[in-house]
Amino acid sequence: MSEHEFHPLVKQLLDGDITLADLPADLRAEGEEALRLLAAVDRSVVSVPAVTWRVMAGLEQRRRRVRPWLLAPALALAAALLLWIMPAKPAAPALVTVRFVLAAPDAHEVSLAGTFNRWDSHATPLVRSGPTGVWTATLTLPAGQHQYAFVVDGVRWVPDPGAPAVDDGFGRRNSVLTL
Amino acid sequence: MRPGPEADGEIVRAVLAGDRERYARLVERYRDRYARYAARMLGSADAAEDAVQDAFVRAFDQLSQCKDPDKFVSWFFLILRNRCFAERRRNRTESSLEAAESVAAADRTDGGAEAGERRRALQLALMELTPDQREVFVLKHVEGLSYGEIAERLSTSVPSLKMRMHRAYDTLREQLREHK
Amino acid sequence: MIATLLVIPLTLLGMQQQDSIAARLEGRVSPGIATLVQQLGVAASARGLPVDPLIQKAIEGSAKGVPAERVATAVRWVAMQLDTAAAALREGGVTTDTLVIAAGEFAISAGLSNHDITALARTGASVSSLTVGLRVAGTLAAMGVPSAENIGLISAKLRSGQPTGDLLLVPARVQAEIARGVTPAQAAAGLERAAAAQARHGPPPGRGTPPPHPPSPPHP
Repeated sequence: MSEHEFHPLVKQLLDGDITLADLPADLRAEGEEALRLLAAVDRSVVSVPAVTWRVMAGLEQRRRRVRPWLLAPALALAAALLLWIMPAKPAAPALVTVRFVLAAPDAHEVSLAGTFNRWDSHATPLVRSGPTGVWTATLTLPAGQHQYAFVVDGVRWVPDPGAPAVDDGFGRRNSVLTL
Repeated sequence: MRPGPEADGEIVRAVLAGDRERYARLVERYRDRYARYAARMLGSADAAEDAVQDAFVRAFDQLSQCKDPDKFVSWFFLILRNRCFAERRRNRTESSLEAAESVAAADRTDGGAEAGERRRALQLALMELTPDQREVFVLKHVEGLSYGEIAERLSTSVPSLKMRMHRAYDTLREQLREHK
Repeated sequence: MIATLLVIPLTLLGMQQQDSIAARLEGRVSPGIATLVQQLGVAASARGLPVDPLIQKAIEGSAKGVPAERVATAVRWVAMQLDTAAAALREGGVTTDTLVIAAGEFAISAGLSNHDITALARTGASVSSLTVGLRVAGTLAAMGVPSAENIGLISAKLRSGQPTGDLLLVPARVQAEIARGVTPAQAAAGLERAAAAQARHGPPPGRGTPPPHPPSPPHP
């Protein structure tokens, strides 16, 4: 057995068949060295979100290649649509339709207040849908950044549980909408 | 909300029947789990991403050859494994640099410069093993499989796996001591 | 003589500013707060800073029924953050406009540092892209992504020259990954790798023409 090889018992330790306590005293240090080796193993998650759409896009592209005569009219149609959709004045802000939702079964009224309506808690009431206690409102907002919160029963300011939140400078949190 | 997740076999059968879009659910389900195996095998998260992507595309192409749709995962694993072994033959020179890079990325999230240094050293040492040795080490100590589970996956015996692993332990020890 | 001639138009401009600020605050804030915001606003405007964030904060505090003292503190705080953002952007070599400064102020209020702002400015992205980048970085900070991963991801995105529409999708993609059980840091790191890969290899298949890839070796 050379200098470099672990003792067979230490290898059993590495395999998880025995514990450090099972090792004789003279192998204790070697056992600890072995455990330090295992502690250095990188078990961190490797996140590869791009793989899903890259795989599906790749499969789609290969399918299209089989029928090239379909592509030309599709491209022409896409180009025509783009020209039609593009605003005449490029400076005009894009508008996005956003649906705000809050589950508040015990509330009597819920409204939305934010940078888009000058934080006016009366300007944008939400509508309750039936007995489930889900309140919704749909707004069309300009692209950009908006901060908002729900106002429950006119007095309680509640950030949107489904949105990122920032400190409002008054001890509460505002929800952030980035369009 | 659908009651309970779909079984792999269901998705495979649906895709084979023509519902190709559902394949995305299998990709979503397993891509990260196998990315970790590939990253530790190839020494780089970037190479792992490419390998996993290629393996899923290949698996789609050969899906009709999957004998047991309910065991898609083990069949897919072999495709990914082949892809990883092929990658190693291609990119010997690049891998050690990337190993250091990708483990450095892990540093930021897990904290501690010293711990990061040890992780980097071990990943570099892992790249000095043969692919077979590295694989058994990764499957047992990163993926947490038992020798029995690994033997089943690789269609081999527990004693031969242990022999590979024990040689790996010695090489790792030597590598880590040399570079202290 | 000439100096006096010059001073008059500037004062007129100041008065005009004051009037427009007053008009926006009318009926929404107390007289004391209105005066403060007018003063801060004119001074900010003279320094090239946006006035809107000051007005918004004052209106917000008043609408929330916050005591005037606290509103005043918050408005001064915003003014300070605007200065910090502007300095950080200049440090990064960006010729500032009011929109990008406002975006920088938001990023700082979400928890990023002036160094983070400068780092993003140094990517050399266009001012309009940087504006979106700062808004998204602030949003990611609000979602719990640590600074290092946050700036790493947004820098990679800005350097890749992708359209800003892609940047705007980032928070939703990070959120989707978090929902799968990955930490915010891991989610951002994963997306950064994807962005870097795209910069190296070109767009993914199906979007434009990818560069030629070396052929794969035969399967064993």
